Amino acid sequence: MCSTEWTQKRCFRALCCKGPPPPRPEYDLVCIGLSGSGKTSLLSQLCSESPENIVSTTGFSIKAVPFQNAILNVKELGGADNIRKYWSRYYQGSQGVIFVLDSASSEDDLETARNELHSALQHPQLCTLPFLILANHQDKPAARSVQEIKKYFELEPLARGKRWILKPCSLDDMEAVKDSFSLLINLLEERDFEPSRM
Amino acid sequence: MKHFLRMFVQVCLYFYCKCLWRCLKFVVRKLTGQCELQRICYNTKPGAARTMKIEASLKGSKCKRLQTSVNVHPDAIEKTIDDIMELKRINPDINPQLGVSLQACLLQIVGYRNLIAEVEKLRREPYDSENPQHEEMLLKLWKCLKPDSPLKARISKQWCEIGFQGDDPKTDFRGMGLLGLYNLVYFAEWDTEIAQQVLTDSLHPKYSQLSKAEWEKKKFDKAIGYSFAIVGINITDLAYNLLVSGALKTHFYNVAPEAPTLTHFQQTFCYLMHEFHKFWIDEDPLDIMEFNRVREKFYKRILRQLQNPEMALCPHFAASESLINM
Repeated sequence: MCSTEWTQKRCFRALCCKGPPPPRPEYDLVCIGLSGSGKTSLLSQLCSESPENIVSTTGFSIKAVPFQNAILNVKELGGADNIRKYWSRYYQGSQGVIFVLDSASSEDDLETARNELHSALQHPQLCTLPFLILANHQDKPAARSVQEIKKYFELEPLARGKRWILKPCSLDDMEAVKDSFSLLINLLEERDFEPSRM
Repeated sequence: MKHFLRMFVQVCLYFYCKCLWRCLKFVVRKLTGQCELQRICYNTKPGAARTMKIEASLKGSKCKRLQTSVNVHPDAIEKTIDDIMELKRINPDINPQLGVSLQACLLQIVGYRNLIAEVEKLRREPYDSENPQHEEMLLKLWKCLKPDSPLKARISKQWCEIGFQGDDPKTDFRGMGLLGLYNLVYFAEWDTEIAQQVLTDSLHPKYSQLSKAEWEKKKFDKAIGYSFAIVGINITDLAYNLLVSGALKTHFYNVAPEAPTLTHFQQTFCYLMHEFHKFWIDEDPLDIMEFNRVREKFYKRILRQLQNPEMALCPHFAASESLINM
């Protein structure tokens, strides 16, 4: 017995005669952050996938995240202790960085996140790239505000001269997340017009 | 032109699926004197092949009673079969075994659906460190895997020795909830030797043809590179996807003579853990960063195996021989 639903779908698609959409620019990004910060969940929701049964990312995974004016090919790296040492292997060829942190994590974890962010900001392959820093889990009661995070992470002094965006976010407000990504895309587009690239 | 032809073929297929196929069924019934359910039971031996055909036939039926029969409560199966036989005008005195065969198939079909619901319920339940039963299970996991090494504290770096990511395993259960923990404990408790072997292997230094100096220089991971518990939770995710997508029907309909249960699912998990471990060693990836690639390849392999209707991944129980061959 054949599946009528499948043939119905193919039928409608063929009848509508839709041509392919015009190509959008693509950018290669790397997404890092500690384990449990919410990288996989955020990226999945941006791709309209359910974040419900997401397990810890072991290793890395690549996702093509579509936006209206660009496609972001994001290499998402697991954040566990034993995997972070491999992060730098995947920096080559990136055009931008997304750093996700849990605003409601413990003091120790926040310190570890700060160290990792500083290492990334200073890494030779990432230091000239735009950074989107997402202070995730804002819906939790213990979440620190964006001002606190900016101060604790010493972004003003340390990231001076670099292009970075710090935004609060949580999984229940995806519109705000999309807006933050739009800002990043603007930075990436600006870069395209620069005459020299490192 | 090519586009138009493709469209034409789709439209024809659509009409075939909607109308012609029913006419064909009608004609065959008149010729053979048997309805589709009877033809399936006579021509297909018991197991996944038969049950899956019966399931498709029931779901595609134009009669509502047959369509909804796949959703009934297990206690109502006998009555449902009687109703179906009556609707199809099959005389139970002339076909005594048909009722038995149909009942067995429906039990498996309904059982599979209920298993999905049971597994989903476990998955949705988050690990709760305030719940003494959850804590007990977690400590049992440690005892089974490391009987000679006592746990110094509930929050401790020791958990990394069995492959958790931090000093408190509860954060690693996200996504799969209690289901992840249940599967790991089942594996450690009932397949202890294999579980301990897999754990030891995962911590072992990687065999390599490089000399020690070269190895140090490249700073590769010393172990074969994976975390037992995290991989276990990922394999639970894999097994869960196989179950929910219906791919495991082939396996369960062949292996569980009656309704598939949670225990069958857990045994399947143990099999998948062991197979994945062997697969990882064969693939010989550089380190843990290749995990998703290897997992995807393994998943595709299992899916291919499950496409064979005779397949039983781990035949702990053979299909019941009391099911009479017609």
